[in-house]
Amino acid sequence: MKTSIRDMLYEEPGPKTRKNIRIFTILSILLIAALLAVIIRQFAVTGQFAPRYWNFFTRWTTWKFLGQGLWVTIESALTGAVIAFVLGFLLMRGKLRRNKILHAVSVCLIEFTRGVPTLLLIYFFFLIVPQTGIKLSAFWKITLPCAISACGVVAEALRAGVNAVPYGQTEAALSLGLTETRLFYKVVFPQAIRFVIPSLIAELVIVLKDTTFAYVVTCADLMQNAKVLISNYDAMLSVYLVVAVIYILINYLLNKLSDRLAFRLKTGTAERSAA
Amino acid sequence: MSQENTPVIELRHVNKHFGSLHVLKDISLQVKKGEVVVIIGPSGSGKSTLCRTINRLETIDSGDILIDGVKIPEEGKELASLRSQIGMVFQSFNLFAHMTILDNMTLAPVDVLKIKRKEAREEAMRLLERVGVADQAHKVPAQLSGGQQQRAAIARALAMHPKAMLFDEPTSALDPEMIGEVLNVMSELAADGMTMLIVTHEMNFARRVADRVIFMDGGVIVEEADPETFFSSPKTERAKLFLNSITAH
Ligand SMILES: Nc1ncnc2c1ncn2[C@@H]1O[C@H](COP(=O)(O)OP(=O)(O)OP(=O)(O)O)[C@@H](O)[C@H]1O
Ligand SMILES: [Mg+2]
Repeated sequence: MKTSIRDMLYEEPGPKTRKNIRIFTILSILLIAALLAVIIRQFAVTGQFAPRYWNFFTRWTTWKFLGQGLWVTIESALTGAVIAFVLGFLLMRGKLRRNKILHAVSVCLIEFTRGVPTLLLIYFFFLIVPQTGIKLSAFWKITLPCAISACGVVAEALRAGVNAVPYGQTEAALSLGLTETRLFYKVVFPQAIRFVIPSLIAELVIVLKDTTFAYVVTCADLMQNAKVLISNYDAMLSVYLVVAVIYILINYLLNKLSDRLAFRLKTGTAERSAA
Repeated sequence: MSQENTPVIELRHVNKHFGSLHVLKDISLQVKKGEVVVIIGPSGSGKSTLCRTINRLETIDSGDILIDGVKIPEEGKELASLRSQIGMVFQSFNLFAHMTILDNMTLAPVDVLKIKRKEAREEAMRLLERVGVADQAHKVPAQLSGGQQQRAAIARALAMHPKAMLFDEPTSALDPEMIGEVLNVMSELAADGMTMLIVTHEMNFARRVADRVIFMDGGVIVEEADPETFFSSPKTERAKLFLNSITAH
């Protein structure tokens, strides 16, 4: 007897269901093909396939220019992610403290950084920070706000991981005479981090996407260099298409990495014992 | 400090509440060096809580708990150091899930007792040998059976050279065929002269190994006697009822 929708969803498909699935698959392929055809036709009609929009992609310098931008994007995203992790870790530790003031300050900072739009933080670093006499390069004007905007989410992800570690682990460590600090680093956090690797990588993807705001501070990242190409060649659509594909590819690879890591951490134990 | 007649564990008029629930009511109790004391009683009578107050995993509201004649420190390094002298074995084993059995064994000796890693490993292997899971040393806990995990957990506690061991229903989470192997390890420990306080529902084991049986009900020590006397002729009505209820089926 089927008791829930989930049971029905996970049922092994029978002959009728298999037939329905096949029909549905064919229909959706046809629909997607039709959509693509319409888009391509529209492009052709409006002349987007004209050689002048695409020729410069055969030039080495174009790719070198995009590559330089891509490198800045990656550098900025990775630096931002590391800073976000460190800040997020400190905020998580602060929030889990019994000290009321430290706890309250951490909660406020977490909520603030989670709530403020990244673009607002970027404008803050672009327009307000220079007025205070602090000189930052364009790289930091984009990297810091992206990191700050992510650190609250990272803190909450880490905290969820810490809370997911069964309390028996803490009690066992306490009963062996470990202090709370030692047992946090030796027993609880190493387990917590395994739980949250996928959400941390998802956050890295968001940082990477946030760095596309770099044009605001004219930091020469992938997006900014793309804009330069667009104005040089007066070719909006082709450049945006190529750049979108690059971003999608990177984020796809990151997600793959996340899956692999999660899988490795789960099965790593088995490998270790075999070794 | 440890004179011949100072009890290793002593509770004096201990009271403990969970909110409005009075879980430990004026408990006084002594466990002498080398003594094996078994606590039995119905569910919710406060056995686990009593066990856990002894290394301050639960705080108490009033009364005193002394280890070797010294009051348990309330916090900090002193408390951690006291806990390291009392071994504790949990119902759910609580082996560190991300570490191999060997790393489980050496973590505290290296971190707390400052023993050299190499020596800690050698000692760990000796102890694992003793409880019969040396061949599992390089696996992680999830790869072991429940009985193997609990024996490793006992070995982990022994690696700290504890003055006494606390067991809170060490076999309640095990499949029947694995209970024996754990009880055997505990019997050997008792025979070697370890001071032990054991909460258990294994009455045959209690009868065999205990020097003294304590029967708790409703947060009170109702009866206290040597196992022969307690199991064959319990004095109180409540103890009779309890013994009947567990042998009835
Ligand atoms: N952390 C807690 N918060 C509130 N009440 C608790 C807590 N721990 C235990 N209790 C209550 O205190 C009472 C005694 O619990 P305890 O676990 O010591 O009983 P027990 O004798 O070990 O029972 P069992 O045989 O089921 O393990 C029970 O009524 C229980 O519900
Ligand atoms: Mg209990």
